Amino acid sequence: MVTKAKAGLLQGTLDMLILKSLSAGPLHGYGIGQRIAQISGDELKIEEGSLYPGLYRLERRGWIESEWDVSANNQRAKFYKLTRAGRKQLIVEEQNWERLASATMRALRAN
Amino acid sequence: MSLVKPTVDFIYAWQHPAEIADEVEAELRFHMQMRTSANIEKGMTPEEAQLAASDSFGDFDRIKTSCCEIKRVFPIDMKHIRMGLYIGLACLAGGVALIAVNLPHHSPFSVLWQLVAIAVLMRAFLIGRRKQ
Repeated sequence: MVTKAKAGLLQGTLDMLILKSLSAGPLHGYGIGQRIAQISGDELKIEEGSLYPGLYRLERRGWIESEWDVSANNQRAKFYKLTRAGRKQLIVEEQNWERLASATMRALRAN
Repeated sequence: MSLVKPTVDFIYAWQHPAEIADEVEAELRFHMQMRTSANIEKGMTPEEAQLAASDSFGDFDRIKTSCCEIKRVFPIDMKHIRMGLYIGLACLAGGVALIAVNLPHHSPFSVLWQLVAIAVLMRAFLIGRRKQ
């Protein structure tokens, strides 16, 4: 039960980070991993492979969409971008996260 | 509507599983190439860079299978469809019951309609209970 709840939290966090990384513009999968590391000041390192099932889940929900294009090094790559629904979801996720983080902090600081 | 494209992708994924598998593989291979190049830039030999890229990526085949399976998952939440089904069944049961009470009591059709109404209501009740 604890494992399931923990996994759910981690998956939700990864989804939010993916949405956040795409808020600045389209990126391919590798670029998303790099961007998450960059915006978290290298504090968050996700297992690179686990990023892709996350991307496919978000695309299935209609929060991101993808198309093949040419990357900076002239290779074909699949680029992801946020949809309008994805932008709305990111706002919801950020608000939920802030509420959860402040509630957890309050609980930790309680006597 | 944001679910149109996921639904089209879902249908395509079921019709063309081999193309989807190739597409997923190409995407994952691109990631591995990028990671290998970055490792070489950090000073690793090509062999070391490839090995390190493979280690940091995880189980390639498992991830590829997982991505292909996600592509074949129906994009619309089944909860909403199930809810619609319950409402439809309840309306049907109500309609049949309404017909049954409006038929003359001596008519054999009245008894038949009442039995149908009871059967539909029982069915809706049993489905509702099973899903809980």
